[in-house]
Amino acid sequence: MEHINAAKIDSDKINQVIRECIKKGEKEIRISNIHAMHNVAAGLCGDASVTFEDSTGLYTASYLEGPTVTINGNVGWYAGDNMVSGELIIKQNTGCNVGAYIAGGNLVVYGNTGSRVGYGMKGGTIIIGGNAGRWAGQLSMGGTLIILGNCGPAIGESMFTGKIFTRDPQAEEKMGGNVIYDEITIEEAAELDSLFAAYGFEAKGAEFHVIRPILDPSGKHKYVLFKPELNKEGAAKYKASGRNGGCYGAE
Amino acid sequence: MEQNKQVKIVNPEKGTWNNIVLSEIDYKAANGKYRIRGCGSPRKVPNFDDLVILPGQCTRMTIDTYREDCETRVVLGKRFAKNPIVLETPIMIAGMSFGALSKNAKIALSKATAMTGTLISNGEGGCLPEELENSYRQSIQILASRMGFKKELLFQADMLEILYGIGAKPGLAGHLMGEKITDEISKIRQIPAGIDLHSHPRSGDAFGADDLVVKMKQLREITNWETPIFAKIAASRVREDIKIAVKVGFDGIILDGCTAGTGAAPVMAADHLGIPTMPALVQAVRTLEEMNVKDEVSLIVSGGIKDGADMAKAIAIGADAVAIGTAAMIAMGCRVCMNCQAGQCAFGIGTQNPEQVAKLDIDVAARRVANYIEAMTAEAVLLAKAAGKTKLSNLEREDLRSMTLESCAMTGIPLAGSDLVIGQGFGYTASNTL
Ligand code: SF4
Repeated sequence: MEHINAAKIDSDKINQVIRECIKKGEKEIRISNIHAMHNVAAGLCGDASVTFEDSTGLYTASYLEGPTVTINGNVGWYAGDNMVSGELIIKQNTGCNVGAYIAGGNLVVYGNTGSRVGYGMKGGTIIIGGNAGRWAGQLSMGGTLIILGNCGPAIGESMFTGKIFTRDPQAEEKMGGNVIYDEITIEEAAELDSLFAAYGFEAKGAEFHVIRPILDPSGKHKYVLFKPELNKEGAAKYKASGRNGGCYGAE
Repeated sequence: MEQNKQVKIVNPEKGTWNNIVLSEIDYKAANGKYRIRGCGSPRKVPNFDDLVILPGQCTRMTIDTYREDCETRVVLGKRFAKNPIVLETPIMIAGMSFGALSKNAKIALSKATAMTGTLISNGEGGCLPEELENSYRQSIQILASRMGFKKELLFQADMLEILYGIGAKPGLAGHLMGEKITDEISKIRQIPAGIDLHSHPRSGDAFGADDLVVKMKQLREITNWETPIFAKIAASRVREDIKIAVKVGFDGIILDGCTAGTGAAPVMAADHLGIPTMPALVQAVRTLEEMNVKDEVSLIVSGGIKDGADMAKAIAIGADAVAIGTAAMIAMGCRVCMNCQAGQCAFGIGTQNPEQVAKLDIDVAARRVANYIEAMTAEAVLLAKAAGKTKLSNLEREDLRSMTLESCAMTGIPLAGSDLVIGQGFGYTASNTL
């Protein structure tokens, strides 16, 4: 195992040092004192397990392709953005937009995450052990998002394709547009069970529901776009001065 | 006296309530929604035709149009990138998606770049392998939708473009109507076939300029500082946007004016969002000069560029290159019917209908686009030589004069035949005598 003390390395060089370790064939790398640096493990490729002992900043393990990257602390926004394969394991909490545009691999957060987790995701699996903020899985184009805790509002807003699994009892009321609340299938529940077993979550697939893109009876996406709603009942509560049936000032 | 004699009455031309306005109202009354149209805005806006180039006479020696050389080669993206792009002519093919355009059209355009030594941008929705194989130099757009985008494209790109806006519909994202979302396009973009697609409006991996600074470092790290990274910006608050792009650390900027084309845009967006290409370019150049980075940050301008005169004038104002979209489509046979959104192009360009696509002969279309690029380059060279330049890039704003008060005020370039500059000026010594 290789230990790297990031306190002694220029922040622009840290990824290069990690890459060189992987190139040399090192399979297990531990990095201490990373002190919330941005872009750590960005674009990292190969076959290795890389562990950061404290917290990391923005874009952690973005464009990751192959390695297992573990963060023992918290991570900032955009962790795992555009991730291709491998694993990104976050032991604590994250900022927003985690797993944006992820195309493959597994991204696991044991704590809570902010808004827009899995924004535009195209593949792969994201598991959130805690709660997720608003717009989880917004405009996703594939992949699987699993939220074990509570969801924020507008979950699944305008998903094109993909699935969001939730056991939040209020999930149906919190859904965004263009999605439906559906029962989980036996196969899907089994898939979740194996993921929970692999990552040590005490949960059962059968407890979950699925949020899916809305389809019409022919199986085609029933995509509805925003249109201003002209709600005359809504406006009726405001007093209008006309139609008072008499003259102003008349008793 | 004879009453009620039949006399032909001629009413004044309808002003506001002309036939175009009537048809737009009819559409909304019938459908309860706004109209989507192809090709961008038909509005008349101040443009490069409002400028003229001053030829050399006693003050400048002209260069022989028919026998002497004038260099057209251009280097783009040299600010930080290790491998800036070298093009034989400062004309690139703008980003137009496979989806908006047919596969044959995309391949023809990329082949044309190989014939002329220039660059093509992929547009939204991924990059066709055939486009990549055939292009001379390839720019890859990183859009908010990230549809069809793959990590490997970062390494296949000769240039990267982070897209913030499209001149024809700034503030909005891509539109691709259901007619054009075939099974193949649906597979590449990972979206359901047949839906009317309105792409992701905001990028999910950078919210604002501070994030972008970090994002830029991420991309530099992944591309090993080799690939030039450009920002594509629609012309809006040009001064502020350019300042941010420079601070973020882009190698160059593609500035897209409101006369740019598109496969589909709401009529409202095309006609009423953004500012025209020519004044936007002036504002961009002014800003880069103020920031003292004009020589290092490359500037490509697009939006209605149609001939060598537009290109020569854009370069004289301070652009390093131009990008053409609609003009390249016209060279392939497009007749600007403004119905691209319907996906039924009789010429096999703005369609995914296999029978129509087959009508576009790739090699013939590629040759026509290459001819057009060559001729357009020759036109710009002709003007540059007449102005006494042995390099296209030596054209300068002092070679220009405005033909209208409006263009004079917008560009700060003196009115032809006078020293009159209205407004801010543009580096001229002429004083504002108004
Ligand atoms: S001719 Fe074809 S490509 Fe040109 S605007 Fe019409 S539909 Fe589009």
